[in-house]
Amino acid sequence: MTQQISPMPERKLTRDEVIALKNKRTLVTVFQISWIMVFVCLAVVAIQIRGTSGPLPALNAIQVIVPLGATLALLGSVWTAWQSLKAIQADQRARFFVFWRYTLVLGGAFILVMLAVMAFNPYGDLLQYSQIFRVMVVYHALHALVIGAWMVQVYRNAAQGAYGSSDAWGVEAGAKLWYFVVIAWVLFYAVLYVF
Amino acid sequence: MATISAPLPGIQVSEEGKLRIGDYLKWSVDHKIIGVQYAVTALFFFIIGGALAMAIRWELLTPALDVAADGTAYNQFFTMHGTVMIFLWIIPMMAGFGNYLVPLMLGAKDMAFPWLNAFAFWLIPPAGVLMILGYFAGQAQAGWTAYPPLSTMFSDGDGQTMWAIAIHLLGASSILGALNFIVTIRNMRPEGMGYFQMPLFVWAMLATSIIIVMATPFLAGGLTLLILDRVAGTAFFNPAQGGDVLLWQNVFWFYSHPAVYIMVLPGFGMLSEVLSVHARKNVFGYRAIALSSMAIALVGFTVWAHHMFTSLTPSLRIPFMVTSMIIAVPTGIKIFSWIGTIWGGKIRFNSAMLFGLGFLSMFVIGGISGVMLAAVPFDLHVHDTYFVVSHFHFVLYGGSVLAIYAGIYHWWPKVTGTLLNESMGKWHFWLTYVSFFFTFFPMHLLGMLGMPRRVAVYAPEFQTLNSIVSFASFVLGISTFILLYNMVYSLIKRKQAGPNPWRALTLEWATSSPPPAHNFHGDPVPYKNPYGYGTEAAYRYLEAQEAELGKSWPNLEEEPARALKPSSSPAGD
Repeated sequence: MTQQISPMPERKLTRDEVIALKNKRTLVTVFQISWIMVFVCLAVVAIQIRGTSGPLPALNAIQVIVPLGATLALLGSVWTAWQSLKAIQADQRARFFVFWRYTLVLGGAFILVMLAVMAFNPYGDLLQYSQIFRVMVVYHALHALVIGAWMVQVYRNAAQGAYGSSDAWGVEAGAKLWYFVVIAWVLFYAVLYVF
Repeated sequence: MATISAPLPGIQVSEEGKLRIGDYLKWSVDHKIIGVQYAVTALFFFIIGGALAMAIRWELLTPALDVAADGTAYNQFFTMHGTVMIFLWIIPMMAGFGNYLVPLMLGAKDMAFPWLNAFAFWLIPPAGVLMILGYFAGQAQAGWTAYPPLSTMFSDGDGQTMWAIAIHLLGASSILGALNFIVTIRNMRPEGMGYFQMPLFVWAMLATSIIIVMATPFLAGGLTLLILDRVAGTAFFNPAQGGDVLLWQNVFWFYSHPAVYIMVLPGFGMLSEVLSVHARKNVFGYRAIALSSMAIALVGFTVWAHHMFTSLTPSLRIPFMVTSMIIAVPTGIKIFSWIGTIWGGKIRFNSAMLFGLGFLSMFVIGGISGVMLAAVPFDLHVHDTYFVVSHFHFVLYGGSVLAIYAGIYHWWPKVTGTLLNESMGKWHFWLTYVSFFFTFFPMHLLGMLGMPRRVAVYAPEFQTLNSIVSFASFVLGISTFILLYNMVYSLIKRKQAGPNPWRALTLEWATSSPPPAHNFHGDPVPYKNPYGYGTEAAYRYLEAQEAELGKSWPNLEEEPARALKPSSSPAGD
């Protein structure tokens, strides 16, 4: 069982390591603030196109419920990712594995569902809006897949004994980047389905 | 009273690790090597962009079509000229200065993420090559603004697609570099250096980086849609299928107006350094200059639609006119602060200072014409005329490029350990200054007389002014080679500069020239006010530094500036 591999021994970080960790945390935060602007750009374009496309067709119950369910699953993965991070920071490895697996499953389910929604594009009759809808879903899915792949790698590293309370950066980065995926989708969901 | 500490405790100056040219041609994570790589790459593209400018001006010597085969070829000239000058000359050159200087000014050993730093640089050469290779695939011809439908329906060949991909790569490089600057500046300042003890160049790089990380991703989103329109059959900007061409203009200018500040803010930072050091005076209004950079970064995001006054919904014109005028306020604060800085100073009129003063005078003209263009009634008349061309060249050449020259003359001794020839530097300055003015000032008149931009053939009554502009531009082009020759001459003659030839107080001068691999031996102690010239404390700090690092100007009896103006009291430093 992967959970039985002993973690790295705990040790105090040197001054340089503390600065390096601080640098990484700042980098991820600033990157998130920066890169969300691409999503803002696409959201603005979608709003503009919707304004010139005329009224959108009404969605049926399935077309509303399926993306809503996927979005709730994605929001749920925020909580599981956070629990995983707390667990690894407390050296509770078994708990970390449980919640990290939940995160991967919820995230994977979200990606599959949304790619299916994109394939059955409900706006096929509106050229530009249909195209921006596809671009937004695929663009988001690409980010979710890349960051999801990172999270799978984190799981594999952890299974090899990596990470612990004094070295949780890999998990922390994965979780924070996953939060980015969620925030980006909430922005898109609001534009595509709510307002 | 400033604490007089030895700037470099326990320093052992050594000659170890001397760099060779080959070290600059390969992957390196040393910020100093990367800084030089940025600068040399940018200078290479400057020559290409300059050659294209010469072709444009040669074409415009007469009203007829002379040089370009047809209008399309002329469109390609100015498209590539603008793109190369902005994305491959000014922006990378500023990044080069930032890379070299920011860690040194902060007393750090390197940037926060050296590998990422190298990666950001190495995206630039392939992007530049990709862009230029468009000549073999139907070069981009829609202007640097790439407005659809010119860039979609009316740009045959793959050159325009290659252009867009190259801009994508350059944008990624820019974002990665800016992320690194923000982290470095936030986390790697030495003890005793708060935000308001940072050199103003570092403040400028911080403001620039904030603009880059917020604005450039927006362009990335728009470029993605433009590329999809060209290669995947989408119709976001295709009016024939219901697309919206103004959508691109909004997205583009939301990035590209702040990009003007990306190009000029580092120049502002350099100017603050150069003026203070060579006027031997404290910066007047340090906080005002620092915070006005941040104000420009913020307000810069609210002015983009002034580029579209002619197509903008009339009710939106006034709000954008107001914001465009407001942004002149923080810029004006800087101008007055710089004048206050040199006022009453012991000015050394060396090449760096001359270019600094040249910047100050020419940028003001660009700023004033900017305020004129911000006024809707005026803008409607001169929109898309040579007045606009004149305005942005006063900002980008009179501002950014003259600042780059000032920076080169100021920091060359630090980077190479050698001095540039001052006589050649002054020749370079005066030829550049005069020819620059006669190249770009008459364009104001051409624009007000109604000559449209982006045309190869024009009405005969514009020929006299166009001839003046073209001849002046040829002199301007030639003057650039004085600098290039001076650089080679300096590297061959190797007239030693020593660690701190300008007796400056910022930390990049508190180490040998060029600095050792890890910049400093031991932890450097910053002087409490990086611009505290003219005090006895500063004099004693510099004397202590000289005692540790060795004399500057080692081949001369005395620094020429001191020999010219002997100071009766040490407090003049």
